[in-house]
Amino acid sequence: MLHLDRRLVQNFDWPLLGLIGVLLVFGIVNLISATHAEAEGLLSRVVHRQLMAVGLGALGMLAALTLDYRHLERLALPLFGASLVLLASTLVFAPVTRGSQSWLVFGSLRLQPAEFAKLGLILVLARHVHRLPPGETRRVRDLWFPALLVALPVGLIVLQRDLGVASLTLLIGATYLPFVRIRGRAWISLGLAALAALAALWFFVLEPYQRGRILDFVDPARDPLASGYQANQSRIAVGSGGLLGKGYLQGTQTQLRFLPTQHTDFAFSVLAEEWGFVGSSAVLGLYAVLLFWGLVIARGSKDGFGSLLALGVVGILFWPAVINVAMVLGLAPVIGVPLPLFSYGGSAMLSTLIALGLLLNVSMRRYVF
Amino acid sequence: MSRGLGFGVEPFFEQRLRLAAVAIGIVFGIFFLRLFQLQVLQRGDLMQRSQRNSIRTVRLEAPRGEILDRHGRVLATTRTAFDLEVIPSELQRPERTFRVLARLVEQEPEVLRESFGAPRGRARFQPVRLVEDLSWPQLARVETHLYAIPGALTEVRPQRHYPDAGLLGHLLGTVGEVRAEQLETRRFADYRAGELVGQSGIEALLEPHLRGRAGGRNVVVDVAGREVELLDEVEPLPGGRTHLTLDVDLQRAADEGFDAVAERDDGLVSGAAVAMDARSGEILVLLSRPRFDPNAFTGSLDPESWRALREDPQKPLQNRALAGQYPPGSTWKTFVAAAALADGTIDPRARVWCPGHFRLGRRTYRCWKREGHGAVDLHEALVRSCDVYFYQTGLEIGVDRLAEYARAFGFGRATGIALANEQPGLVPTRAWKLRRFGEPWVRGETVSVAIGQGFNLATPLQLAVAYAAVANGGRVLRPRIVLRLEGRDGTVAGEPAQVTERLPVGPKHLERIRRALAAVVNERGGTGGRSRVAGVEVAGKTGTAQVVRLKYTEGMEEGRIPRRYRDHAWFAAFAPAEDAEIAVAVLVEHGGHGGSTAAPIAQRILQRYFEKSRGEEPPERREARLGAPVSGDDRAAP
Repeated sequence: MLHLDRRLVQNFDWPLLGLIGVLLVFGIVNLISATHAEAEGLLSRVVHRQLMAVGLGALGMLAALTLDYRHLERLALPLFGASLVLLASTLVFAPVTRGSQSWLVFGSLRLQPAEFAKLGLILVLARHVHRLPPGETRRVRDLWFPALLVALPVGLIVLQRDLGVASLTLLIGATYLPFVRIRGRAWISLGLAALAALAALWFFVLEPYQRGRILDFVDPARDPLASGYQANQSRIAVGSGGLLGKGYLQGTQTQLRFLPTQHTDFAFSVLAEEWGFVGSSAVLGLYAVLLFWGLVIARGSKDGFGSLLALGVVGILFWPAVINVAMVLGLAPVIGVPLPLFSYGGSAMLSTLIALGLLLNVSMRRYVF
Repeated sequence: MSRGLGFGVEPFFEQRLRLAAVAIGIVFGIFFLRLFQLQVLQRGDLMQRSQRNSIRTVRLEAPRGEILDRHGRVLATTRTAFDLEVIPSELQRPERTFRVLARLVEQEPEVLRESFGAPRGRARFQPVRLVEDLSWPQLARVETHLYAIPGALTEVRPQRHYPDAGLLGHLLGTVGEVRAEQLETRRFADYRAGELVGQSGIEALLEPHLRGRAGGRNVVVDVAGREVELLDEVEPLPGGRTHLTLDVDLQRAADEGFDAVAERDDGLVSGAAVAMDARSGEILVLLSRPRFDPNAFTGSLDPESWRALREDPQKPLQNRALAGQYPPGSTWKTFVAAAALADGTIDPRARVWCPGHFRLGRRTYRCWKREGHGAVDLHEALVRSCDVYFYQTGLEIGVDRLAEYARAFGFGRATGIALANEQPGLVPTRAWKLRRFGEPWVRGETVSVAIGQGFNLATPLQLAVAYAAVANGGRVLRPRIVLRLEGRDGTVAGEPAQVTERLPVGPKHLERIRRALAAVVNERGGTGGRSRVAGVEVAGKTGTAQVVRLKYTEGMEEGRIPRRYRDHAWFAAFAPAEDAEIAVAVLVEHGGHGGSTAAPIAQRILQRYFEKSRGEEPPERREARLGAPVSGDDRAAP
């Protein structure tokens, strides 16, 4: 099973690993600054936990790249099933924190199963799409099975009342749609269904404060001191960074804690304030390169499942990154979605690194046939 | 560039991958443009807003100037007050926090929760004041537990403090937040809402001197408003010191005198006492009872207590020494005598027969002594306060001529003391009555006016000024209250001595009156015997001013007359009788006889004054030096 082939080492995607490493270093350095104000020693508790998550994530990544991904195609359904069981168990075992019920607690270790459900989802979707008869155009009713695959984890996450992650998971599943041949009319039906779902979400699911955030985005002057406060302070932090930034550990918005949740959702604001346009666009550039790199790996794989798996990893990275940066820059409402590799959060770090391990897995086995 | 022949080169997939790449490119392109817009184009504006977030100008209130008495004893000062505050955003488990804090300050948790309110948004990062001006035990308990209560803190604030509490309430006045309608006036042009200003008494009079100049500093604050870094600072300039002419020892002596009366009268006493330097017009005592404690006004006076103070039938907020107007009673006879002598109306040696009553037309006017005084001359008439003598004298002078002399003594107009709300009293004339009532004067009214009843009204302060004029040879002085001001530009003298009028009464006549007034106190049969001070010749005149006509209370035993119908008791005096140093006027509302109620209070003031001027220590200071407990605050508590 384990092909420690010489070619595997030769073909290992060192640039990708380097890119991940650079982003992780930036992330940790930025997190140190974001939590500097409350740190008692050199490194805050938050940074310690994040470093532990990176260490654990590195092991997860190693495991994900060692096993030939083609074996994963066979294991996809059981793994997906396991992730669903884990997800469902939160509804039984997890305590309710801040209105949602998405954390499994093992002593000091807290796990967010929704993060791992994403991984299970891209495995089963990649397997499903890979096995579709080539060249055949699909109708809407043909999509019931993949729709069910997506609906299972999304539904469970909605039951945990974690709407941010639920919509992210939905979007990750939707990443595969453009890569399936679908009739033009089917697109229209899908679009209408999406609109209906959004309307239902607005009226039946969203809490008043969540609707408020979206209204604040449409009209920032609505309530500048309440939920508009976060978006406003973030915009001020980013803008006041200027071209070169205020300097590391020198951001007044950050160090004086005017920025809300600056180590999680608004980590990128910290970077933008202290490193300016130069620093923030460089990091943004690295993200863009990472995403393009994922597409290149998808294109380069000689195996359909490998390509689709790489594509899923790109989706797992793309959606939260885009939503988070758009929110930080005031281009989207305040939705609590963390920036992959950057924001504080152990489960997210672990699942992201495992996903990147899968990407490395596909990349290093592109010639191995 | 194709890397093989597998799935990856399928044209459909390849085309969609290209689309995805374009989509990613567009999204990140938008991000770059947005970053450029915020960080390069809007940088200036957003930079400013970030500074406005974190750089705050903190006002440093100038400590208000101290007020001292003539011997440098502190009457008003500024002390440090500690408030209990919480920062809402940092509260963990608010309910528990309120319970714990409530126990520490010994209040109901409900009260704290009410003061807390429901702060939202940015206000969640600003401290909310829960309890104002913690007592020492409260502060000690809170401070020792503060480390375990996240979000709670104590804040320091300068607070006006009056060590003698109510003893000087009316004179010193109060400070309070500047009112909205005041802010609109030019006088308060450079004041800010919420600033403390003198609202009455000396505090209001000397506001510009006492206020000082606030400083400020620019600080970097964090989101909770806590100072993180000091950028620059301008020190506040403290307000100037004020020395009053007042002597707090004498004030206390007067106050104790009223306490003694209160003990006699079931705890109720109201009235006023004024003592003035008879040579310079410097006010030594200015007391009004009942008192109020100005300390109650320095924080936020709750509406309940404020209403209680305002609606108290005893009117504790009124300064009776200069705003209380009363019929002067027999103290008035001094001025009738002076007028008659100066006018040549009477021969002071001529005797008038007093049978105990005086008949005018069909009416009979009683002398207070029903069996009559017999034949009395001016001296005896003053000493024994014979009404009949003055009925007749008054009629001979006439009301208008009497009024001219009364005005010369300073009645019927403000004395000009620098305090607000002074009342002018009333000196009736024929013209006045016609104007006021549309009716002509009748002679019977002159009879009443001649003994200080009827329409006459005078304030205790006016009476002190008038008796000082008798004492000092005829100079009517403007009362002075400010001895000197010490400010940033050195010492400024207070108000200058000012003679507002010279009496048209010759020195010989005044001398004669002084002899008579000395006899009132010192001769057998004089009404003012209870004001005697060992070693000093005191001169004075008692007064008992009717509140209702005699017939209402006639036949009643004195102790059974309802308090509100009892006569006002007056005593006006100066000492020594020749070369007087001090003049005193005491009024006790519904106190009964001047000689028995008001004279002992004046006696205490004079006694303390001469003890001091002979170098004897006042009793409480002697006690303090000997280690006995001094309980000035206890006594001053309302």
